[in-house]
Parts: sequence; C-alpha cells; structure tokens
Amino acid sequence: MKSLLIAVFIILSSVNILNAQQVRNFVLNDIQNKSQSFEELKGEKLTILDFWATWCKPCNKAIPELNKLYLQYREKGVNIIGINCDGPRSIAKVAPLCKTLQIEYPVLIDMNTELMNGLNLSAYPSLLIVNSSGKVVWIHEGYVPGDELIIQKEIEKQLSKL
Amino acid sequence: MTRNILFLLLIMISFSASIQAQIGGHNLMEYQYGQLPGDTTGSFSTIYDRALLDYSYKNFKVGGTLENFYSPYQSRNYTRLSQFRLQYNSKPLELKIGNFYETIGRGILLRSYEIPGAILEDKSYRSRHYFHRDLLGASAKFRHKDFTAKLLYGKPLNNVLPPTFDLEDRRSDRIVAFQSDYLLNGHILGMAVMNLENETVQSWLAMANASGAILPSLSYYTELAKNVSDFAISDFSSEAAFAFYGNLSLSLDRFGLSAEYKNYSNFLLGSGFNEPPALVREHSYKVLNRSTHVLQPQNERGIQLEGFVYFPDKSTLIVNHTQAVNDFGKEYVFREFFAEYSFALKEKHDLKLFGDFAQDPFKLEENRISTGFYADWKLNETFSLNTSYEFQRFYRNPAEVQNHVFSVGFSSKSKFTGYVVSELSNDPVVVDQGTKVWLGTGVKYKINTRHTLQVFAGERRGGPACNSGVCYEVLDFKGVELRLSSRF
Repeated sequence: MKSLLIAVFIILSSVNILNAQQVRNFVLNDIQNKSQSFEELKGEKLTILDFWATWCKPCNKAIPELNKLYLQYREKGVNIIGINCDGPRSIAKVAPLCKTLQIEYPVLIDMNTELMNGLNLSAYPSLLIVNSSGKVVWIHEGYVPGDELIIQKEIEKQLSKL
Repeated sequence: MTRNILFLLLIMISFSASIQAQIGGHNLMEYQYGQLPGDTTGSFSTIYDRALLDYSYKNFKVGGTLENFYSPYQSRNYTRLSQFRLQYNSKPLELKIGNFYETIGRGILLRSYEIPGAILEDKSYRSRHYFHRDLLGASAKFRHKDFTAKLLYGKPLNNVLPPTFDLEDRRSDRIVAFQSDYLLNGHILGMAVMNLENETVQSWLAMANASGAILPSLSYYTELAKNVSDFAISDFSSEAAFAFYGNLSLSLDRFGLSAEYKNYSNFLLGSGFNEPPALVREHSYKVLNRSTHVLQPQNERGIQLEGFVYFPDKSTLIVNHTQAVNDFGKEYVFREFFAEYSFALKEKHDLKLFGDFAQDPFKLEENRISTGFYADWKLNETFSLNTSYEFQRFYRNPAEVQNHVFSVGFSSKSKFTGYVVSELSNDPVVVDQGTKVWLGTGVKYKINTRHTLQVFAGERRGGPACNSGVCYEVLDFKGVELRLSSRF
C-alpha cells in the first residue's frame, strides 16, 4: 500500500504528459463592480492575464511596464487583463492604487482567488499568455526589472506563430 | 476504497495523455524529517501530498482533490478524497455542486478561501492538511444585465480539524443563503439573508450593502449585517449580534487614500466561517506579520487609514494608522502607526525601509517599535544579492523583549533563490531563559514553468502567521523539509 502511494506521489510530482492548460470563460466584477467575462475582454490574438495584489511590491513594479506593453500591442490583437486578488482585508486599496498607477487595461476582482486557484497558481505576480483558443502558452512567475523584455520577447514569439 | 481511488487517479492521468488539454491539475508534495523543538517524540519522517485534477469541457468542469498524510503514527495518517466538484459557468448562470468557495459581501456573513501552498499542522492533532475553508453543497448564481442573484446551501469546513476527523465534526454548520444585488445609476445596492443551523443554534441573519462612486475620485462601500431572529432589528446594544463595515477610497493623481471603519458585536458565526474585514494592515515583514492584531468579531470596533504616494521616480511611500478597540469587561485599545518607503538606488538596486510603532495590550506588547530594511542588490542582468534585517522591541510585564531577523540570499532572476535566515529572540513566551537563535537555510529552484522545488534545512521559528486576511499558527520546526510543487 505504502509503495503504491509513493508511486502515485512520484507520478503526480513528475508527470509531464500534458502540454496545455486551458483558461475557461470566467466572469468577474471590475473595479466599478460591473461584471465582465473573459470572452468579452480577451484579445483577438493573445490575452495576458496578470494576477496581482496591492501588497505585492513586485506586482506594483510590473504594472507600469505592463501598461506600456498594453499600449504598444493593443492594436495588434493583444489584450491585458489585470486580475486583482486582494482579500476583504485590503480590497479597499485596489481602486485608489489602480488610479494612481494609471492602469489603462481592465482590472477584474478575484477576491476569493477562485480563478487563481483554479489555474493552480500560487505566486504573485503570475503572468499567463493565453492564445485565442484559451490555451495557456506561457507562464511567468515573479517580477524583477528587466522581465518586461522577456515578456515582450514571448509576445513577439507567440504572435509570430499565428 | 483507497486502492480504487488511486487506481482511478492513475487511469485519469494515463487517459489524459491521449486526449491532450482539457485536464489540468496541481500536485503539492512535502516531505519532512525532523521534530517540533521541545517535542519528546524525537525526529521522524512525514509525507504530505495533495493532488488536484480537473477535467474541463466547454462550460463544464469536473474534478477532485486527493489528500494524503503519512507518518509513523497511524492515528495521524489518512488518504481522503477531500474535494469533488461539478461546475457550470456561463455569463448568465454559474452552478456549483460539491466543494466550492463563496464569499458573501466582504466576508461578514461568509468567507471561504484557499491559502496557496499553506499546509496546516495543529499542535493537538499533529496531522497535516491543506489550509482552506470551502463549502460542501451547491450554489447557483444568476446574472441578468445589472441584476445578480445567488442561492447557496452548504456545510462550511471547520479547518482546525484535520481530515482524520469525521465529516460531521468537520462540517457541523449548515447554511442556506440568498444574496442579490442591483446596479442602479452607478451604485450597487445589495441584500442577503442566511439561515444558520447546527446542534446548538438556529438563527436568521440579514445583510444590506451599498457601494459606488460619489465623485470620480471618491468611492464608498458599506455593509451592515445583523442577527434578526434573536434580536429586534433596531437593537444595536452590546448584547445584540451585528456587524458594520464601511470604507471611503480617494485617489488624486499620484496620491491615494483609503479610510475604513468597523463595528462588530457578537458576530462569530457557527464554527467561525465568517471573516469580517479586519482593518489591520497585514505586513509581509516577519516581525510585524507575527504581531498582527487578530480580529475579535465578538467585540471589536475601529478604524484604518492608509495613504500612499507613487512618486514620478517610481519610489513609493505608504503610511498607515490602525486603531482597534476590544471591550471584554476591560477595554483593550490596539494602536499602530506604520510607514514604508521603497525606492531604487542608482536605478538598479531596490531598497525598502519600514518603521512601525504600536501599543497592543491584548498581546501585552507595550511601546512596540519595529524597523528594518530589505535590499536587493543587482549584481548584473541575471544575479542579485538580497539582504534584510528586521528589529523589534517591546515591553511585557515589564521586561524588555527583542526580536531580530537577518537574512542573506542570492537569486538568479526568478529561477533560483538560495538564502540563509537567522532569528534571535529573548521573548519569555518562546524562550525559557536567555536568548534563542534559530538558523536555517533553503533553496527554491524553478525546474521549469511546471515544477518548483524547495528545500529547507535547519530550525524555523513558528508563531502566528497571516496570509490573505486569515491568521493561523505555524509550528516551530527543526529538520529537513523538501517540497515539490507541480502544475500539469
């Protein structure tokens, strides 16, 4: 019995059999409390989902860079959706911070982190590039200055595949 | 039974290989060899594993979570299918059957959550399990234009009890709730009713909330909930059960301000499945996180003010003031003043400085001063050196207590991190006499985008930890710990 369990642990921990994680349509409220769906907001070619929280310093550093990428690529079929994961304790700080950081792209509220957990993400910030069929083609966790160049390179790479 | 579950799991994994996509999952495995310092049982090995599998097809999702814990002690061990779910999700309709997460309002009536990566071990039960609070039941959410309605029935999880306990013990509360809200001229008006039933209580609770923007730069949120079956609707005396929360948020160019107010009286529901907003800043700094004032929903009122400035050079200043008053025959007033400044040095090194002053009579921490810095020294495009120091001093009966935390780390982008962390304390609550030193080292390595490996060796100081608004107790640990997290 014990050896069977160990075999399962090892298989589950090292399994690499699937190549795609899928983003299903989801509906969340934006910072104006208006419900928005992924289907309505997704980019024609690519969608970037950025999971962040107000207390996460690297997240706040990444946002101005994502803003620049959004302005640069929005006419090329790429949309960015910010997914804020602040809980009830700090949710009141989201709207002022979004305005202060002058976020141009839509920001949705995932207060229960249900979407984040459903995508099996556990770090802030987590950035996903999703193609037009909902397949997650790239994941990046964390942010250090310079990562925006890696993200841009990946956007270009994914666009060139289309 | 267990063999059948495992067999089914292996079949699902094998099957998923042939169909590609549609199935996703996550596995968290943690192996420990060590002991709780002071525990007489000595060092031993334990292994915890949580495997989550979901199959999605169009708007449907079906899945389950398998949890295992094994140690040399049979009474602590288990293999459980701890969650199953069947969900349908479209813009007008959302249906959930099985285990699901739901929050009503800002958590005053109901808050469920999952703290990613947190494994809970209680000193009494010594069995390890994932830290989450879900509901077992069903819910339906309907949306039409500006109207939303939600109906749910469920048994919230009492997450203090590990899976070795019976389901009835872990889920002793039954709730039925209805919530709706309507967007009217930019303002959302909402209401909710809930029936709570357990072996000792049967009560009705009601909630009303309103939110919106008064000016383009000024928004508000208010929420009032009350037990309406045991107390008159107009009764807001100290004996009545009610909870009020409100906030105002202001944003002017590079300046933001949030002001919050709370007043909670006898509002701990059932086994504690609600979580009203605490209005106490949750710090990431170790010494402050450990000292976080834990909300007492039975009796607490207070305010939180937080302002921040985002300067053109990308430096940020945050100031925060919190006050919380608990009246348990004697009045306890918690006060905290916090400031943090983060900036870049020579446009490449990141620095963060903080200072905090608090009075916490509930924890017997008088004139508590905390300060420290975090620095991320960029060595080149790839490598950086991380250093930090935190200091805390307070007086308790009337001895002076000091806590120190030092850490040095080395990281290669976000792929590899190695660190050494040391803590010193003379707090009589955790140290018999003199000063105790904790020393530990660890590495975190992202093997690829799917697999992350973490290793810790040494001694780790436990204590209260707060994450995503939820506080819990982390036990001390001395030994070796290996964690493998996989996404597939």
